[in-house]
Amino acid sequence: MASAASVLLNLPRPARVRTGPGGAPVGVNGQAIELVRESWLVEDRWWTTPSLRRRYWEVVTESGRNVVVFHDLCAGAWFVQGS
Amino acid sequence: MAPTPPYVELHCHSAYSFLDGVSLPDELIRSASELGHAALALTDHNSVSGSMELAQVAADYGVRAIHGAEIDVTTASGRGAPSGRGARGCHLTLLVRDERGWRNLCRILTRAHEHTRDGPGRRVLGEPSVALETVLDHAEGLVCLTGCAGRSALGAAASDGGESPIATGRRLLDAFGAEHLRVELQRPYARGDRARNRTLAALAGRLGVACVASGDVHAHARSRAELQDAFVAVRNHTTLDASEPLRRGNASHVMTTPQAMARRFADNPEAVRETLLLAERLTFDLTHDLGYRYPGAEDATAERKLGELCGARLRERYVGHTALAEAQARLTQELNVIDKLGLAGFFLLHHEMLELSREVAREVRGPDSVRALLAPGRGRGSSVSSLVCYLIGLSHIDPIANKLTLGRFLHEDLRGLPDIDLDFPRDIREKLIPRVHERFGTDRAALVAAFPTFRARGAIRELGKVLGLPPGEIERAARGAERYGPAEHDVGIDADPDFGARGRAPEREAMPSGSDGDRAQRTNGVRGSERWRWLERLVEEAYGLPRHLSQHSGGMIVATRPLIDCCPVVPAAMEGRQMVQWDKDSCSDAGFLKIDLLGLGMLSAVERCVETIAHTRAERVDLSRIDFDDKPTFEAISEADTVGVFQIESRAQMQSLRRTRPQNLDDLAIQVAIIRPGPIQGGAVNPYIERRRRLREDPAYEIPYDHPALEPVLRDTLGTIIFQDQVMEVAEAFAGFTPGEADGLRRAMSRKRSLQVLQRHRDRFVRGALAHAEADLETAQRVWQMIEGFAGFGFPKAHSAAFGLLAYQSTWLRVHYGPEFLCALLNEQPMGFYAPDSLVHEAELRGIAIRRLDVNVSDVECTVEDGGVRLGLGYVKDVADAEMRELVDERARGGRFGSLGELAGRIGARRRTFEQLAWSGACDGIIATPTRRDHRPLDETARRTALWQLGMAPPGERAAEGTQLALPLGLPAAPRLRSLGRWQRLIADYATSGVTIGDHAMAILRERLSVPMLATSAQLGRLPSGGAVAMAGLVIARQRPGTANGTMFLLFEDEFGTVNLIVSRAVYERHRHLARAEPLLLARGVLERSEGVVNLIVRELAALERFVVGGVDDAVRRDGAARIHRLPAPEAPSPLERDEREEAIEVGSSMRAVAPPIQSFAMGRRR
Repeated sequence: MASAASVLLNLPRPARVRTGPGGAPVGVNGQAIELVRESWLVEDRWWTTPSLRRRYWEVVTESGRNVVVFHDLCAGAWFVQGS
Repeated sequence: MAPTPPYVELHCHSAYSFLDGVSLPDELIRSASELGHAALALTDHNSVSGSMELAQVAADYGVRAIHGAEIDVTTASGRGAPSGRGARGCHLTLLVRDERGWRNLCRILTRAHEHTRDGPGRRVLGEPSVALETVLDHAEGLVCLTGCAGRSALGAAASDGGESPIATGRRLLDAFGAEHLRVELQRPYARGDRARNRTLAALAGRLGVACVASGDVHAHARSRAELQDAFVAVRNHTTLDASEPLRRGNASHVMTTPQAMARRFADNPEAVRETLLLAERLTFDLTHDLGYRYPGAEDATAERKLGELCGARLRERYVGHTALAEAQARLTQELNVIDKLGLAGFFLLHHEMLELSREVAREVRGPDSVRALLAPGRGRGSSVSSLVCYLIGLSHIDPIANKLTLGRFLHEDLRGLPDIDLDFPRDIREKLIPRVHERFGTDRAALVAAFPTFRARGAIRELGKVLGLPPGEIERAARGAERYGPAEHDVGIDADPDFGARGRAPEREAMPSGSDGDRAQRTNGVRGSERWRWLERLVEEAYGLPRHLSQHSGGMIVATRPLIDCCPVVPAAMEGRQMVQWDKDSCSDAGFLKIDLLGLGMLSAVERCVETIAHTRAERVDLSRIDFDDKPTFEAISEADTVGVFQIESRAQMQSLRRTRPQNLDDLAIQVAIIRPGPIQGGAVNPYIERRRRLREDPAYEIPYDHPALEPVLRDTLGTIIFQDQVMEVAEAFAGFTPGEADGLRRAMSRKRSLQVLQRHRDRFVRGALAHAEADLETAQRVWQMIEGFAGFGFPKAHSAAFGLLAYQSTWLRVHYGPEFLCALLNEQPMGFYAPDSLVHEAELRGIAIRRLDVNVSDVECTVEDGGVRLGLGYVKDVADAEMRELVDERARGGRFGSLGELAGRIGARRRTFEQLAWSGACDGIIATPTRRDHRPLDETARRTALWQLGMAPPGERAAEGTQLALPLGLPAAPRLRSLGRWQRLIADYATSGVTIGDHAMAILRERLSVPMLATSAQLGRLPSGGAVAMAGLVIARQRPGTANGTMFLLFEDEFGTVNLIVSRAVYERHRHLARAEPLLLARGVLERSEGVVNLIVRELAALERFVVGGVDDAVRRDGAARIHRLPAPEAPSPLERDEREEAIEVGSSMRAVAPPIQSFAMGRRR
């Protein structure tokens, strides 16, 4: 369960994500994904440690929720951002 | 055959987008070729500066170049032009279909830049932008894409406050038609891409035009991607940490394969296919049909006119001369070549240009000046070798008498236009350039552009700032960095023993010093050291990229039709000047006629000198008729007594003069050419010097040639390649090149971007040598190596002859008219190798009296006075020239200044000006005894008194109508002030004028140095070679040429003269900071002396301040004598000794603050 603070501060929370071909998410936290609305890439802050490399996905789950998840390409882990 | 790639990149930026693109056209094309692209469009921001370069290299890599630009457009009339790239307004990507399209693009770009220099003083460069109407009016021949993701003409931002996207779209459609308008889709992997592309595709549907995909490439390789982020921050004057919203946020702007691009637009295959269809129609080839013609090219009577002109002049010069027949034959030959090439109009044009310069010279010099005896300008470069040039006055060197071959300048398979370079005294050149604009029309004449590139120091400063590194540390790193030299060798961000937080990337060469990652982490922490590593990497990536558009030193383009049909013309920073967007290489590729009007400081100096001689001695010197075998002049040259003369005055030249001992003008021509990267890297220098020595000792000595075929072409230079034309001559004589091929080789060698091209000539050369000269493979390769080594840079023979002559003339003036020559040099600064301070010291050693600044005697400029030189008030720093002019005029009107009060009252200068005058000693003469002249000994309190009293004087007030002068009231007498010691006076001299007279710094310090057995420069000639020596001195020149493998040369001056210090790489690395920045040094090492050349091979350097015992001034004079030879206490000094040390350290810091500027190889020598 996410802490209140991480929700308030919009901090990324670890997520369980199933992926399909090409690395696109097909399920997040047990919910199947209906639709991928958008995907974008952030490779930034390379002059700092750790640097930022994330592939973002904006998806709609089967329950109709809009969710933004990202795959941290440095750590290899998935996170969900926003509510 | 390889399958056709599925995608063509139609939107790509190079580094010529200035801070919004990080790759050179050459790199982009190479990457495109490697990644499998068949064509590539270059679309820089408001510029085609990289287009010609792209076109030239594209052919080499089998990639088709497409030309265009991304322009800034304001859509709605009445809305102001955008004030920055981040401001409103939109982008359009324009691509060229045909010649009309190119012409229109050039016109649009010219308009876009029209008002970029409208600010006060033309200093601030405005952002180019053009009204949409202008684009619509020039749509013919162009294809319009609706612009990049962020600034699309159909995007929401563009419509903000202006017309709707669909309205803009309709206007574009009306102008370009559905055939030539495309809605541009990009996929930079940013949030909102898909939504935006859906909207744009819908708009395209409504307009009835197709969509096209583009990649908005900004880098040729992933390794440059970070630099693009850094450039965004530089451009926005902010840091990387603060510029996140401004940058792309990923590396999607790096060029990738056509297949990957097709995948990127998998949801819109039509837009991908459209790139291919569009590219097929963009067939404009910049390497053909630019449609440029130079004035005179169409003149059918030009051949006859030129023949008549030359014939008449030939009769004047050669009739009754033994060389008449030879000259006639040569003229016929040259005119034939000129006719075949259709270049008669070109020569007439130059003749016209020269007549124009004569006109300007008459105005500048005045009718009665002795300078009128001198030609207004003189040829430089290979044009000097042409008889036609000589006859029509372009060159002052007789090519018959000087045995100059025409080769490089004119030959039958010449492709471009020959170069003609003209040197002018600076004042004439200043007037001539605007006059040429007037004469040929402002739309038909423009200057050539130049692109200053990122060098280590500038890059460290700019990129260090965006990384958020501490400013003080950045500055230290920048100052410590090499000014010059390619990045892959040493950008110099590294480790000095005392130089904190630098981490070097592990793969780089380790420095023999105590600083490395550990130390860096201790001082700055891990994060800090990471940023330093990034700085090093970014600096390396940025090195050599163009930084901005600037103006070439004097190249002008003239054309018969408006130049803006060939290349965009933009305003230059100087009033009345404009330039094309291409640099000299691009102009040459375009076949533009370029005339170099160069300012040559030494020409100005010799003109001044003959004028001064006419005034001071009432002698008229005609430099073209002096004795060219003057014994004292050649003696001075052979003894390297040449400080201040043209070309042969540098440290390296002086060393070589003593060994080559030139005896005539031919020798001098070789001499000026020899200390150049070409002959040095080609290995010509030592063999030439050695063979010359053997020949001097044994006139029967036989020159060893690598191959008999080389003898005729290398005889004059004793079997070595010293002149650039010899490269061509060797290629012809030894490898059977045609003159055209040989010229191609020369061009390949002289360009910055063609190392690869040079390799192609290699095979041809070696094959040719085997067949043509029947040389063996080894010899062929050895000779090629000489040529390849030469690739750096070398002078053509003709150019050397012209420079050698000026070197002789200036030496002749120095020998026979020492004070006048020195005076001219001091007034033409900055120029040459030595700072004024060094020129003055050297002149004093030769017995020329140098007189102090004096408000009652000095002119604004330096003047010759009783056989000596009086320093001019123009030398006082931080004062306006106009104020000094006013002072001198007022003195001429109202007589000498009797008192300081009178000085302050009669001239309306700023307080700062009076302070500087007082502190420079220029007021010493009117202190206390106002009626006496300055023949009394200098009062030690005079400067302080003057400063004190002038501080009390009410200065004149400046008002709009002029200066409201104060009443010349008497000033209160100064209290008893401390006297100024010799050292303080020297520091004051340097601080106020950069020149000190009388005491040399070493003369003051020597008796207070704690080092026993110090040698002086005067003693070195008598000390045994190979012996250990310690010396103290002032560094006056510092060089670390790229050709010397890391060795640094320091020119060291003491009160007796100069000596050359050689600091090997190892010693340099140990004492990097001292070697680079410390003005006063103690050097220990080994004396090396051979053939009259003395060097100190340095083993160890130290700051001299460590060895100064006690203070240098009054305190020491009173009681310091007993301590002079005592070493400073190594540790835990007593309180008294600590004071002394601090005073001693002040010696160094006071000097560091004011040390005269030194010559640095990297600054580029001003002539």
